[in-house]
Amino acid sequence: MESLKLPKDTMLGAAIVTVTGNREALVENYKGILEYTTESIVLQGKNARICFEGKNLSIDYYTNEDMKISGRIDALRYL
Amino acid sequence: MLHWIQYIRGYVTIKVWGYSVERLLNLCGNHDILVWEIEDHGDYHTMHISIEGFFALKPLLKKTGTRVKVLHRYGVPFFMSKMLARKIFVAGLVCCILFWCLTSRFIWDIRIEGNLSLTEDVLLDYLEERGIHTAMKKSDLQIESLEQALREDYDLITWTSAQLKGTTLLIRIKENDMPVYEAEEQKESSQGMDLTATRDGVVTYIITRKGVPLVAQGQSVKAGDVLVSGAIPVYNEDTTVRKYQFVEADADIILRYGKNITLEEAVAYEEKIYTGETIGIPVFGVGEKALTFRFPGIPYDYYDISEEKSQVKLLDHLYLPLYYGKRTVQEYEIAIKKHTDDEMKVLLQARWDKIIETLEEKGVQIAKKNVTIKKNEEKWVLTAGLQLEEAAVKRRPSRIVQTPQEDASEQTAE
Repeated sequence: MESLKLPKDTMLGAAIVTVTGNREALVENYKGILEYTTESIVLQGKNARICFEGKNLSIDYYTNEDMKISGRIDALRYL
Repeated sequence: MLHWIQYIRGYVTIKVWGYSVERLLNLCGNHDILVWEIEDHGDYHTMHISIEGFFALKPLLKKTGTRVKVLHRYGVPFFMSKMLARKIFVAGLVCCILFWCLTSRFIWDIRIEGNLSLTEDVLLDYLEERGIHTAMKKSDLQIESLEQALREDYDLITWTSAQLKGTTLLIRIKENDMPVYEAEEQKESSQGMDLTATRDGVVTYIITRKGVPLVAQGQSVKAGDVLVSGAIPVYNEDTTVRKYQFVEADADIILRYGKNITLEEAVAYEEKIYTGETIGIPVFGVGEKALTFRFPGIPYDYYDISEEKSQVKLLDHLYLPLYYGKRTVQEYEIAIKKHTDDEMKVLLQARWDKIIETLEEKGVQIAKKNVTIKKNEEKWVLTAGLQLEEAAVKRRPSRIVQTPQEDASEQTAE
């Protein structure tokens, strides 16, 4: 597995979360959205749920592959 | 970039509310429907969605039990349908753009800078002759050849630069600051030039610089007489003329002659008295033709007509062939009046002064004058006998011609 040097996200189906400061987050490789309010956004990954908590959260765009969250992110938790 | 593509394809802002908005979002993702700027407003969510996406949304709404409402429409497809409802506006817009495109292909203004002694009118006339005028096509203008032609046709111009700035043709020239000396024309002296009198008179002064004087001081001459000959004879020993040397005769000569002047001034005169009655008629003109609002007739016996016209212009130089103005008809009455003695004096004096002034301008000097004024009831008559002195001479080709036969015979004699 390691020796093939394939990207881990494709192989494991793991979600990639890129957080820029506490203002912006880019999420790739997720299954769906479970909850969306201005205080929290919960996403379903393959193995875990990803929970963003903060204030004035909004989704800039949302497609099958990736999504972008903006607002003030206070915490990022895996449930 | 993405924003522009979205705008061109068109999108709507929708308000979504109901049982599970999250599930709707998941379904959108699975069905490849792009949504963006999703905002939570508590009771409802708002989001942007493309037009195709919006139509694909219907079955998903049923599935998730949510409801949707369009809040705003953005983009070209909506803009177009809006525009189509305003056909005349769109037509006007298109015409306007076409008009600008079309008119920007012409030159609408010609400006000339740097000309000091050559007036703008002269240069504009010159350009007109070369076919360069306002409202000409830009593509017909050859800047290089224009610059060259300006330099070649005017010796005074030492440097030119023509450039097109938008629809303005800007011509900058530099004139020669140094004075231009024209090469003095060397005349072929195969024929001499005589000095002849232009009027009858008495020679009062003569100094000859070149040529043979034929008259002496105090001698009377007639108009056309040769005063100084340009042919200088070279004599043989037997005092016959061997040949002539031709020169351009040059001399200071003053002729004195008499002149009588009579001035009449009538005592009675007609004076216009304006009654203050006027009629103003508006005038409009297109090109050469003037359009006036006519009245059935002007009800005055005597009247003056004056007209003020203005031309419609765009920019500083572009005059349109449209005129507007006002024609004023002023009524007057004629009154017969008589000048007083003082007025008569002033009137005659003014006319007399003018005559003297014009004589002096011509370089005529007054040697003697004898002025008398006769008065009667009807008119005053001024009679003046003047003795004038003037350099009344003119250059003329000499009548004496060298005959080649003489030369030939002399050569054989030698």
